[in-house]
Amino acid sequence: MNEWMQQHPASIGGLVLWAIGLLWLMPSGKSDKARPGLPGILLAAAGVVAFCLGAGRGVDTLQSEVMFWSFALTALVCGALMITSRNPVYGALWFALATLGTCGLFMLQSAPFLAAATVIVYAGAVIVTFLFVIMLAQQTGSAGYDRRGQFGIPAVLSSFVLLGVVVYELQSAPLQINRPETPKVAEVGGASGSRDGGTMTSPPALPSPDAPINPPPPPSVPALLSRATPETPVGSMKGLGRSLFGDYLFAVELAGTILLVASIGAIAIAPRREEGAL
Amino acid sequence: MSEITPLNYEELRSLMVAAGLFVLGAIGFLTRRNLILLVLSAELMLHGVSLSLVTFGKIHQNQEGQAFTIFVLTVAACEAGLALSLVLALYRQTHSLDIRLWSELREFDVPSPVSVDAAGASSLTSGYEGIPMLTPAGVQPRELPKTVNADPKRPDRTPV
Amino acid sequence: MSQDLLAPLLWLIPAAPLLSAITTALLGPKLLKYRSHIPCWSALAVSFAASLALLIMLPQQTATTAGGFIPPADLVAAPGAAGTDPAVAVAEPQTAAPDVSLPVNRPEVVVYIGEWLSLEPAPDKADVDVTADIPSKNRQRRGLRVPLELRVDSISSIMLAMVTGVSLLVALFGSGYMHHDAGYPRFFAAVSMFVFSMCMLVMSSSFVMLFVFWEMVGLCSYLLIGFWFRKPSAAAASKKAFVLNRIGDFGLIMGIFLIWTNFGTVEFAGVLSNTQRLQELAAENSGVITLICFCLFLGAMGKSAQFPLQVWLPDAMEGPTPVSALIHAATMVTAGVYLVARCTPLFVLAPQAQLLVTGTGAVTAALAALIALTQTDLKRVLAYSTVSQLGFMFMALGCGAADPNLASMAVTAGMFHLFTHAFFKALLFLAAGSVMHAMGDVIDMRRFSGLRRALPITHWTFLVGAAALAGVPLLAGFWSKDEILAVLMAASRTGEHRLFFGAVLVVASLTALLTAFYTFRAYFMTFWGPEKFPEEAGHHPHEATPIMAWPLRILAVAALFIGLAVGPTHLFGNTLTKTVGLTPFEAHFHLDVMALSVVIATAGIGLAWMLYVAMPRVPATIATVLKPFYVLSQGKFYLDEILYVLVVLPLRGIAFLSTLFDRLVIDGIIDSIGTVPRVLGDRVRSLQGGVVTAYAGLMWVGLVVLVVVCLSIS
Repeated sequence: MNEWMQQHPASIGGLVLWAIGLLWLMPSGKSDKARPGLPGILLAAAGVVAFCLGAGRGVDTLQSEVMFWSFALTALVCGALMITSRNPVYGALWFALATLGTCGLFMLQSAPFLAAATVIVYAGAVIVTFLFVIMLAQQTGSAGYDRRGQFGIPAVLSSFVLLGVVVYELQSAPLQINRPETPKVAEVGGASGSRDGGTMTSPPALPSPDAPINPPPPPSVPALLSRATPETPVGSMKGLGRSLFGDYLFAVELAGTILLVASIGAIAIAPRREEGAL
Repeated sequence: MSEITPLNYEELRSLMVAAGLFVLGAIGFLTRRNLILLVLSAELMLHGVSLSLVTFGKIHQNQEGQAFTIFVLTVAACEAGLALSLVLALYRQTHSLDIRLWSELREFDVPSPVSVDAAGASSLTSGYEGIPMLTPAGVQPRELPKTVNADPKRPDRTPV
Repeated sequence: MSQDLLAPLLWLIPAAPLLSAITTALLGPKLLKYRSHIPCWSALAVSFAASLALLIMLPQQTATTAGGFIPPADLVAAPGAAGTDPAVAVAEPQTAAPDVSLPVNRPEVVVYIGEWLSLEPAPDKADVDVTADIPSKNRQRRGLRVPLELRVDSISSIMLAMVTGVSLLVALFGSGYMHHDAGYPRFFAAVSMFVFSMCMLVMSSSFVMLFVFWEMVGLCSYLLIGFWFRKPSAAAASKKAFVLNRIGDFGLIMGIFLIWTNFGTVEFAGVLSNTQRLQELAAENSGVITLICFCLFLGAMGKSAQFPLQVWLPDAMEGPTPVSALIHAATMVTAGVYLVARCTPLFVLAPQAQLLVTGTGAVTAALAALIALTQTDLKRVLAYSTVSQLGFMFMALGCGAADPNLASMAVTAGMFHLFTHAFFKALLFLAAGSVMHAMGDVIDMRRFSGLRRALPITHWTFLVGAAALAGVPLLAGFWSKDEILAVLMAASRTGEHRLFFGAVLVVASLTALLTAFYTFRAYFMTFWGPEKFPEEAGHHPHEATPIMAWPLRILAVAALFIGLAVGPTHLFGNTLTKTVGLTPFEAHFHLDVMALSVVIATAGIGLAWMLYVAMPRVPATIATVLKPFYVLSQGKFYLDEILYVLVVLPLRGIAFLSTLFDRLVIDGIIDSIGTVPRVLGDRVRSLQGGVVTAYAGLMWVGLVVLVVVCLSIS
């Protein structure tokens, strides 16, 4: 733990700054008065930057660096603003932005189809529905309960403890990945396939050579159609389709059924009964 | 042939961002009192999960991560639809989106969380109910007319 | 006569009232209602007929089947044969009383029903045997065996005939007396139950069975005293009777324990007929027998209302008058006398216990008679006279202390008095009930007088009863009281306790005088003098209805002649002395005693006539002159208050201390233990504030802890 703290000051500092920024922005439990937003936003943004810098630096193209930073900052800062916004309408809009950032990160992780699907589903459907509901229900904008938070400090503390623990685990004892022979992956965003390009700034403490080598067990054989091949690299529509409609056909059918049931349920719940809608 | 190597920094930071999104969603869920924002925060948590799934899929060179993300997307859509209809049903009873109004689970002698912070909290209920109007944008509305409980039959669920 | 006839007879006697009790209890409130007396009447009639038949058949039975003796132990040895079919054994125990040379027929019929308790002694465990300190040859049976048997011998058959007969008449009277009482079915159910319990009590074959039905009788008495349970005084009286009887029962059960420890069995056959063991025990440890007798006598004191436990009986008059007649005069209270008489083989070996019996009887008799002098409540006068007469019986029972040879005569005298007393006291109570019925439930003698014209039947039956009680020659009480005085006189002439028995004789004579006086005082106050009715009676006090008058007439005839019929003819004595432990004795007429009795009775009656008829103003003068004594007697010697101070107050104090201990210490400990969860709960109850997000937050914190723990472990 100590070692990690010395080696990753950026992570620690980022977490702390981020948490302070969040607390600053957050609606207080005691009073309705909002603090000025800018210091909080700056603090949180600085925290997020430092947090991401804690991952270290590798050799990568500028293009991909720029994309990652913009997307990651968008997602995290907009997420922070969403959860602290006093007006639910703004919250929904910040959420849309955070979704966009996440979709960008999807693309960076060679998932272009998912990015598109998420944008369509969330921005196109979910957010709009939310806005409609907000409009229906809360036309006055910020209500009293929106200007009041609850459990601010315990929630932020416990959550950042969790985040810190996860980050510590990821950084100090990184997962040893049994990588299959790399197929040719889809070139999206130019950031893919660069596993040999990036190494940790602080190499992990690998087991010393004289220690008995205890390699991780070979991974269980993934379902055949889900495995990436040179013809169907990760993220390609063809590969995804083979996985979904091959290995996970039943799950897809099930998901479809769930959608049907959920829509029926929503129709059953939402209307006013006294008006005879159902 | 396969080989064993640690995570590279790109994968690492992607996972870290995913964890950050997840945690942000959790904080939002815990600290907000607006039902809609609660649902939105849950969606943010789902984003975090989706991002890590996608990243793991890429790490393992496998389509399964993305396939699961699609399922997550499906379930999220269902959840959003159901949650919003529930929110509407709840709203219809209290004319408020405050989750603290739904506190029937409490011990009988614990004071209602609404009445505890009722002092100082401004009321949502305006005189304009029933009149369709757009959500005001721009600056926050300053002073809203305070009205007393609209429905005397449900004193506990008065909006604050 | 065959055994086939005897077994059903024995069955019928208790079974008929039991059946009636169950029927009346189940069907009475809904179906029978004011016809509830029908099952009771018929059952009691059947029982009475069976008892009479038994009384007649029993001696003949033994004569014909002498030698056909089947020991009950053999019966039990083959329990498979027992089953539900009653096995009948007509027994003539081989052991004769030790002091008799000629063998005596001791008729005894036992109907075996089943085993109630049959506990085998643990084998090879002599070291934990409670009877280990008894020489091994004396340990006949170390387990506990309580057979369910109907056992009838001479004394039981007499008691049975008396109980069922008096009960039948009282039930007849009761249906008239209780008519249109709301608890009519309840009354007859309880009376039937009482007769069943009493029959089973006298038919028990072991001390444990006797104890069980002893308690049942007490229970029925409780139910009947508290019959009008909405009346606070009745509820209090029933409670008092029950609690005071528990004191005596404690002694009785202690005695039973002692008997089991020393005899290894609780059956009458193994204890009272076991001459060998009795002799051994008397030789090696006579103190034990004395202790047993003390304990048994304590039980008898409770049930038979002897000093100092007599205070419940007068209060028991709160019950309906037929109950007073049946239970608290004629039958139940005689259970103590019966027990002591039944245990004569034990008592003859314990002269100290017998002295105690006589002494207690004398004190009780004198005390009760003194109290009865000044009571103005007619039923209470009779109640105290009952206590007094019971004292007479006990006085007689203890006379064996003077000379063991006197024991049979003493027991016969006591039992004879019990027998005659049952009739005339029931008669007196029923007549008093008739008066009460006519006077609109007023029983205070100062509020009515001169009833002899208004209630002619009641008047002459009461007069017969009073004369019998007072000991007017040739009436029932004369013969039995005479025998008691004769026994006392005989006892005062022999043995080392001559002076004691002399004093008791004097007390008995004086008590007899007082008895004659207060009985006729009540009679004169009620039936003579100017005619006066309380306003509750209305204008025309009505004479007893036929259903009430006939039992009075029958009982009056019995009171007139029964003593003459069975006393001087030795019918009673000859029957009774066939019981184990008793021996036939040469009976004489004691002319001196008779003369004494006549003088006493005449003096008492004459005094009463003088004071209450000839010179009605004198009693008030006497009361003022002897004010302290009058107040003492009127206040019942303040025995209730003395008992209250001596027994109730200390117990209250202990109860109060216990309450304090319980409240402060026990409850304090428990409460403080109970406080812990409450305090803890108060800390966490705010989590149950109903805020949904708080629950989610708890889940979240749990998740965080789980993740941290899992990662730190790996």
